[in-house]
Amino acid sequence: MNAIGIIFSNIYDSALTELTRERTVASLPFAARYRQIDFTLSNMSNSGIQHIGIITKYNYRSLMDHLGSCAEWDLNLKNNGLVILAPYATSHSGIYRGKLEALYNSLDYLEHADEEYVVLSDSVSICAMDFNKVLQEHEDSGCDVTAVVTPFKNNQEKQFPIAVELDAKGNVRDMGVDVSIRDDFGGMGIYIMKRLDLIQAVRRCSIRGRYHLERDYLLREFNLSNISIHAYVFRGTVLFNFNTMDYYRNSMALLDPEVFHGIFNQRGLTIYTKVRDQAPTYFGEESRVDNCIVADGCRMLGSAEHSIIFRGVTIAKSAKVKDCILMQGCVISEGAELEGMILDKDVVVRPYTVLKGTREHPMIIEKGANV
Amino acid sequence: MKFQKKRCVAMLLAGGQGSRLLCLTENTAKPAVPFGGKYRIIDFPLSNCVNSGIDTVGILTQYQPLELNEYVGNGAPWGLNRNHGGVQILPPYQRSKRSEWYKGTANAIYQNIQFIDRYDPDDVIILSGDHIYKMDYAKMIDFHKDSGADCTIAVRNVPLEEASRFGIMNTNEDGSIYEFEEKPKKPKSTNASMGIYVFRWPVLRKFLIEDEEDPKSDNDFGKNVIPAMLNAGLKLFAYNFDSYWKDVGTIKSLWEANMDLLGENPEFDLGGKDKIYSRSPAMPAARLAASSVTANCLICEGSEIDGTVRDSVISYGCIIAEGAEVENSVLMPDVVVGPGAVVKNAIVGEGTVIGEGAQIGAAQVLKDESDRKITVIGKDHEIEAGALVKPGEVI
Repeated sequence: MNAIGIIFSNIYDSALTELTRERTVASLPFAARYRQIDFTLSNMSNSGIQHIGIITKYNYRSLMDHLGSCAEWDLNLKNNGLVILAPYATSHSGIYRGKLEALYNSLDYLEHADEEYVVLSDSVSICAMDFNKVLQEHEDSGCDVTAVVTPFKNNQEKQFPIAVELDAKGNVRDMGVDVSIRDDFGGMGIYIMKRLDLIQAVRRCSIRGRYHLERDYLLREFNLSNISIHAYVFRGTVLFNFNTMDYYRNSMALLDPEVFHGIFNQRGLTIYTKVRDQAPTYFGEESRVDNCIVADGCRMLGSAEHSIIFRGVTIAKSAKVKDCILMQGCVISEGAELEGMILDKDVVVRPYTVLKGTREHPMIIEKGANV
Repeated sequence: MKFQKKRCVAMLLAGGQGSRLLCLTENTAKPAVPFGGKYRIIDFPLSNCVNSGIDTVGILTQYQPLELNEYVGNGAPWGLNRNHGGVQILPPYQRSKRSEWYKGTANAIYQNIQFIDRYDPDDVIILSGDHIYKMDYAKMIDFHKDSGADCTIAVRNVPLEEASRFGIMNTNEDGSIYEFEEKPKKPKSTNASMGIYVFRWPVLRKFLIEDEEDPKSDNDFGKNVIPAMLNAGLKLFAYNFDSYWKDVGTIKSLWEANMDLLGENPEFDLGGKDKIYSRSPAMPAARLAASSVTANCLICEGSEIDGTVRDSVISYGCIIAEGAEVENSVLMPDVVVGPGAVVKNAIVGEGTVIGEGAQIGAAQVLKDESDRKITVIGKDHEIEAGALVKPGEVI
């Protein structure tokens, strides 16, 4: 694919509070064995994008550890491959405030590429997508920018980065930024445009002190009729983890086979992640595991219901877990009872401890805690 | 190019056909047969090498090498993609004067003397590709060095009544071997050879060349090279290894070794500090539906369980539909068990689809463990809906 990929790893950090205190949104664990960035990265790799820059701001050590040599995504290439674009503050630029400013810091990276197009993506959209289709539609539309959007579903009120109304050709007729009104379509934070157009836009915005990609470039230029925007409507399964509640609900949504298969069983769109070489999970004689997703390396001796169990979790005999997300390496000791909890990595729950949140308000226990 | 010297090079014999594994090795070399849910047999010796600090491994292949070559690839999953050393597949090849298949275990090494010479190793460890175990070879090599042996053979105690199936090492008190008997009718001891040898390379090199010059030789380590070394009065030592070890050369032993992985404190623990590495496909975590029942089983990522699984090993990518029952069985990767189908005491090969309501090895009454008949279904078969496969049948 004749495009370079840019992934923003820190957008929405603040809305995910405790879960992103020591990591980027991109490296937030999701779906029992993945990190959020795996989805965007796999989609790019599966679409044949072999030149990818990940823009980071802070807390990116876990991300770097996760990506390693990027062999899992087939991006350990001689030519191009994957680069982490760490922030650097010089005498005339601070740490960036928005995507445009971040891109300004990485302008030389964009300039040295020779691909015609650029695919920009956040790392909060969980889906399996072929960007070739997006590019094809973009070229056919003749528009300057194509935004990937998803139809609003009933009763869904989310703070999407953009919301749009479309004309008969599927081009944007009206748009808003950071809105939660029920427009027709919500933006997925994924855009395709010509690389040189982006470079120009970044320069022009930057010298005018504008840094917000959606507000200061897309909306502003659209309203001035300087650019036309096409919308690629993605009709596959997609989940957005904009905030902690989304994260919890979306995790639980994976327990629905339709959602699960919509993301994981798409032909040619395998989601890759770091290999950890864990042994298979053991389910004990008296275990009761219903309606769960369980990664490798666990010991399931007690009972688990309606939960997401990451790699290397132990649930001891007579321990009970319900409506929970247990991240990598958690240990639930005997007799403990958990309901409506999100346990970050390596939490140890002592014997006979009872921890209860609710499905509406799950409680979060921070990484490495001993409770 | 000058090669970096290596203290020890491992040579892994992976050329056997494994005909006693019946249909499971029809198109697959035995070392590439799936084991324990997400592994293949060769992962065990390969991971042992890596965990023992050996980073140069030659794999001798001959029978159905395609799948094995592809599986090993550049060795990255085991950390064996190295600039110096790493893993290398060594098939027999054509030479200027003659070309031939590997005639025996010793001949296979003989034909690769050049490969070993490049690393100028002190010792060579010979491994076999059909054993399930975790072993720190570094300890054995240290023992070999400390005793000043020319050859050290790993041995384990076997029950006296089984001793006549093995090569038996009769040793002095200090562990030195004075006699080797291949499958003796009346065994004098119970030290069975595990087929793991450490040799001082210059010594082995000389004996391989002499063995090759002997037209009567079978070119086999156990039959020819070891006895020749004993006759020559060399120092051979036995190295005791009594942790878990299993030869999985037969259907029964392959099934048993899989069952040894089960239990809260299994006979053989795949987890722990010494990891077993494997090339695993990218698959989502296992999905267990509300209707699933799981008791005493291993289930790997990529599986979807709606039915019942008891006392079984379920590899990655398996689907067990609602109402299906799997018991005392080993499902290799990507097996589909249709709704209401029953699979008992079976090994089911990769990619096989078992139709709705089919009965595999189901009606079996076990009074005694020796009654158990293992039903075997090979790779990529389709068992029709409602089909009946009798206990012990091999498809």
